[in-house]
Amino acid sequence: MSVMALIAFPDISFLALLALLAGLLTLDDTSLAQTWFSQPLPAALLAGFFCGDPLTGLAIGLPLQLILAVNLPVGQSFTGEPAVATVAAVGASVLSGRTLMVPMVGAEPQPFGFVGWMVLAAGSLSALGHFLVQAERRAHTLWMLEGHRTLRDGNLDRMASLQARCLATTFLRGSLLVVLMLLFLLWAWIPLYQHLPLRLQQTLAILPWLLPGLGLGTLVDRYGRSRAWLWALAGLLLALAMFQLPGVLA
Amino acid sequence: MTDRCVQDTGQKMGCRLRLKVFLRSLALQASWNPQRMQNLGLLSCLLPLRSSRPGQDINADRIFCRRYYEFFNTNPYLANFIIGGLIRLEQEMDDGQGLDPHLPLTYRDSLGRTFASLGDQLFWLGLRPALIMVLCFLGLLEHTGGILLGVGIFAVLQLGLRWWSLHKGYLLGMEILGLLRHPFWHTAIKWTRRTAMLATGLVGGLFLTRVQDMSLPAGKSLLWAGVALGVGLPLIMRRRLPGEGLLVVAVGLSFLLTFAIWPPGH
Repeated sequence: MSVMALIAFPDISFLALLALLAGLLTLDDTSLAQTWFSQPLPAALLAGFFCGDPLTGLAIGLPLQLILAVNLPVGQSFTGEPAVATVAAVGASVLSGRTLMVPMVGAEPQPFGFVGWMVLAAGSLSALGHFLVQAERRAHTLWMLEGHRTLRDGNLDRMASLQARCLATTFLRGSLLVVLMLLFLLWAWIPLYQHLPLRLQQTLAILPWLLPGLGLGTLVDRYGRSRAWLWALAGLLLALAMFQLPGVLA
Repeated sequence: MTDRCVQDTGQKMGCRLRLKVFLRSLALQASWNPQRMQNLGLLSCLLPLRSSRPGQDINADRIFCRRYYEFFNTNPYLANFIIGGLIRLEQEMDDGQGLDPHLPLTYRDSLGRTFASLGDQLFWLGLRPALIMVLCFLGLLEHTGGILLGVGIFAVLQLGLRWWSLHKGYLLGMEILGLLRHPFWHTAIKWTRRTAMLATGLVGGLFLTRVQDMSLPAGKSLLWAGVALGVGLPLIMRRRLPGEGLLVVAVGLSFLLTFAIWPPGH
């Protein structure tokens, strides 16, 4: 790949569309409505639809969702920035000209090294984004303290504008961050993949197949310490009966 | 469910006011901060109540803001029960019904904690894992439309709950304890958790059938290795890692597994 091709700037309208989507999903995460469209899987699918390739969204979003299912966007707990990172990963994958296959649908894992590479990118960027989220929350504290002036002068409009400022900041964070993440992925992360040693590429091919077990195990640990694990067992047997028995009987 | 608890006081929350408060309540957490959490969000929700009154009383506005600028935190999906109740208490205070000015604060603080606990159990630890596992199940079946439809249905239902609970909280006022005592909450929590576990098992089972089709020597072991790690890691580390941390652990384990699947010289 030539250097010029490597640093080619993506279409501005494409970037603007993804920035808008990421801004809205960032708002949805905790600030506005919390509809759960900002969860990794729906966010990846939406990004995939926006980019014209929903299956690439599914390929990245599904393993990511399974492993991030344990994150709770509650109070002081770790939140990460999964929605923006997911949108950036899906957008960069589509822009790189690759059509990704969905892991766990019955094919061999060897073609999935790139999927694992992009899932790792989304997870790492989400973890980095967490520090920005925390920084923004500290800024909220400062702005909230600014509202003390209203306790003296009774200016209610100030309170409304402080709230609007917080919303606008969150939207901007998501919009700008997705552009930065996407360019990083497109110009550095994706080109690096073909230079990885074979053993690392094999590691990445295994990754999407390992994540479901890890995610499910963590969920069982977190929610199934009581008799609820019997329900997990029932679900497992039900799925096996639904999807394996017909084949056996045939 | 609790209509028998409603006391008719002749108070009304007009549609305009209800809509304004509802829209603002969607952004209850927009200004979430580590010091006082949702205090600015709550005050923002209640501002239409002040602006709907004729004339401006700066002193009353100052006292109003001071009342609601302290620490507040609750579950966003159930917060409108509290906001509706606070609007009613504020109206009753304005109408000179002789309410103690500290009553809204006691109401806010005690209900905030209660709904936070109920909401966390019901939404974050029940509905959320249940819905996510159902979405993953649909994802494994490549039903992309079903995934978006599932989230869309949840979104509409939770918005409906918020709209309804704003009015319900207003109607109930101080009688909201009857609603909190209702066994519905614990039944719902129990069944959402069971559904979450059932869906978790379904995803695991479907995944197992998928790896059956692989000619990979370590096919099933990938699932069980992951499950063992997911259950065992918190016990070994005595702490629960966030998903991003688990991803890094998974990369390490995947690296080791490659030696079993593709031995050196393979």
